[in-house]
Amino acid sequence: MNDTIISQYKTRLEEYQPIVGKNIIDELKILGSHLAGRKVHNINSTFSGGGVAEILARMVPLLQQLGIDATWDVIQGDDAFFNVTKKFHNALHGKDESVSKDDLDIFMETSRKNNGSMALNSDIYYIHDPQPIMLIERKKSLGGKWIWRCHIDVSHPDKEVWKFLRKYVVQYDATVFSSPEFSQQLPVRQYMISPSIDPLSDKNREIAPSVIQSVLDKFGLVNGKPMVVQISRFDYLKDPLGVIQAFRMVRKGIDCQLVLAGGTADDDPESSRVLEEVRECAGNDPDIKILAIPPGSDLEINALQRAATVVFQKSLKEGFGLTISEALWKSKPVVATAVGGIPLQVINKVTGLLCHSVDGAAYALKQLLSNPDYATWLGKNGHEHVKQNFLITRHVKEYLLLFIVVDNPSDTIFL
Amino acid sequence: MIEWFQQNWLLVVVPLSLFLAFCIIGLWARRVLYNHLDRQLSKSGWGGRDVLIQTTRGPFFFWFVLLGLYVAIAFSSLPEDTKSLIIKVIASIFIVSIIWLLVILSERLLSIYMSEVQNVKQPAKYVMTALRSTLIIVGLLILLDYWGWPLTPLILLMAIVMLVIIVASRDALSNIFSGFEISASRLVKEGDFIKIGSDDAGYVTDMGWRNITVRTPDQNTIVIPNSKLVRETIVNYGRPLKKSEKPFHFYTRLSLKELTGLKATNLIALINILKTAPDSIVYYHTHHFLEEHQYLTPEPANDFALWIGDALDNPVLSEKLANIDTFEYTSLGSLKASLISVIEQYMAENPDIRFTQAERDFHFIKVVNVISPTPYFASDLREFVEVLRKVTIDSLYYHIFESRLRLQKRSNDFSVWIRDSFGESDLADKIDNLVPYTTTIEGLRSVIIQLIEKRIK
Repeated sequence: MNDTIISQYKTRLEEYQPIVGKNIIDELKILGSHLAGRKVHNINSTFSGGGVAEILARMVPLLQQLGIDATWDVIQGDDAFFNVTKKFHNALHGKDESVSKDDLDIFMETSRKNNGSMALNSDIYYIHDPQPIMLIERKKSLGGKWIWRCHIDVSHPDKEVWKFLRKYVVQYDATVFSSPEFSQQLPVRQYMISPSIDPLSDKNREIAPSVIQSVLDKFGLVNGKPMVVQISRFDYLKDPLGVIQAFRMVRKGIDCQLVLAGGTADDDPESSRVLEEVRECAGNDPDIKILAIPPGSDLEINALQRAATVVFQKSLKEGFGLTISEALWKSKPVVATAVGGIPLQVINKVTGLLCHSVDGAAYALKQLLSNPDYATWLGKNGHEHVKQNFLITRHVKEYLLLFIVVDNPSDTIFL
Repeated sequence: MIEWFQQNWLLVVVPLSLFLAFCIIGLWARRVLYNHLDRQLSKSGWGGRDVLIQTTRGPFFFWFVLLGLYVAIAFSSLPEDTKSLIIKVIASIFIVSIIWLLVILSERLLSIYMSEVQNVKQPAKYVMTALRSTLIIVGLLILLDYWGWPLTPLILLMAIVMLVIIVASRDALSNIFSGFEISASRLVKEGDFIKIGSDDAGYVTDMGWRNITVRTPDQNTIVIPNSKLVRETIVNYGRPLKKSEKPFHFYTRLSLKELTGLKATNLIALINILKTAPDSIVYYHTHHFLEEHQYLTPEPANDFALWIGDALDNPVLSEKLANIDTFEYTSLGSLKASLISVIEQYMAENPDIRFTQAERDFHFIKVVNVISPTPYFASDLREFVEVLRKVTIDSLYYHIFESRLRLQKRSNDFSVWIRDSFGESDLADKIDNLVPYTTTIEGLRSVIIQLIEKRIK
């Protein structure tokens, strides 16, 4: 387990009490007491970059505080392996990808190397996303309960890739998806657990106006001019080019600026290519800022979101889209596409505006920039919605419930 | 001897006379003074009258005896150095008697105070010991000073020792004096139900000289230092209310959503799946909005109505389904039958709608419930209210919503307990008649608390 990563996030459970209330923390402790000492091994493909690593870095220490013997490891792989898993990722999102037999061989060879090298000895194995999915081959020899957690939008997966992965998925004791749209006809139980944000993280905690200003100055942004922000990895599925298109439609009538900010992840070799295309599309437009920010720039992201007038999330496919919860937590009005887990966060016209196209995005953006009171009302609802449903404390609770439920096939369990 | 007396009788008679005169004056003065004092103190009604008079009567006369002795020695023909020594001894006896009197008097007066104020026996003992020690030390210092001993180093040493003791025991001292304040003010007594600050509440089970012990409804015992208690805002609800023979144990219901993989793209598919759907699916789609949309009032209708309105763009059927009052049903089976009946009737009247493709699919979800006991118990309505303030909405959800389906009647766990334990049918009926589906759970919590508080005021 990467103790360096974990040790960065030693937030005490009690620190969430002022935000969610003592009773919620007490409830977690009660649940934790029923699982005390259980070994839970989380495995994914990267310690940094992307929502999964971000969640695990905070989740694991909290589980440990609740008495769970939680650990976190990553599988090893070379560029060839991650190129294949990126293809899997795109294909599961429904994008056309040609996955060859050679690709599958590379995937299986690296997976089997990992199977041979990883030290596993737990009660529950919690495997995140397709990259480490083949670890299930060790179930027979190790025993224990195996859960596959899919963070990807698999509502319309590429059939061939899904067929390949499915034979591993069905060997698990349970699966977890982020949205009802992602559920499949499977012979194993499927649970729905939405991801979450950490209100105490650098990305989400309250920050002083001076910090926001310093970040705006650093990136050469004009304070006072309406600012539209999309925070996302540079990825075709986040449709950064569509965002620029929608922004340019709106700017014809409303003076505003656009910020596209994001980083790259260890397991995403495609992102630098997308970044170049986005830069090319933005050209020398002084109202468009393309910010390639390194992993760990959480305070900068926080400041940009807080400085935003409207936050965009115009994904074509989305596992969940935690950046939306981040924006809603900061009471920001959001325009987002109705894909993946986004409608769980953005309830149209209640906590934000949903769109289905570039035109729809432009129209919604105009609405919000022209009606600040309406935008404020949406933002306020959004904050409450996140507080109730998408904070890490709810996430921890559902993880604990999952660990209880996976041992018990009943629909009602009495502790 | 006789010859010596004949020559020097004045040297004996004068001092003896003076001594006897002072004794007589002492007896007279004591009679006059104490009669006057007795009258005055009787008028004032002070409880320490008898103690003051009985304790000081003897010493008062004794001091006149000493005075007589002192004068007699002064007028005697004894050698000067003998006289001086005897006078010093008499003065020392006088100082000792004063200190002894102060010690006895303060002990007796304090015991009167103790008999009036409860729960201060232990602190009173400590204060008495401290007072006695102080008086004895002061008396000793006066005596040493009187006999000409050097005092400065001794006083310095004692001051240092005292300082160390005070610093080391400042918290204990603070608690002891706060204990006096609490006891004297009589704001809190054993058996009272108190709320300290905004968090802890419970019955006072013990009041000590340094802290008080409170038993909370979650069966914890909390010990609160007296000094903290005097600084905090305390609400004292007084003596316990009528106790229930069977305390109410709060449970909580935590749920995990299970995806079924079943989805409907049109009405006919919806109805077909709904017909075979287990109760847990019906429950989720008719209740989950209560938990997930706490911030919205009014909250959305059931999922079926929402989907038919939004995805099928059929506001008429949506309204019909939204108008099904979940509160009227005490079983999910009957609720499901009603939903199916409304949809089927509409489809019969509008056959074209049956296969209309929805904009988005309806995904069937069910819930897996994990029921867990909480540490909270309530044995009377005061404890009940305090626990109600603390439990999560999941717990309220379990006792208000799920209980209706579990009990299969239009009631809930709270009303049943209140009715059965205390015979409070009126209060129970009022809680029964609240319509939980038209308000947020937090709103419901507030109303129930208000109803109970109004009853127990």
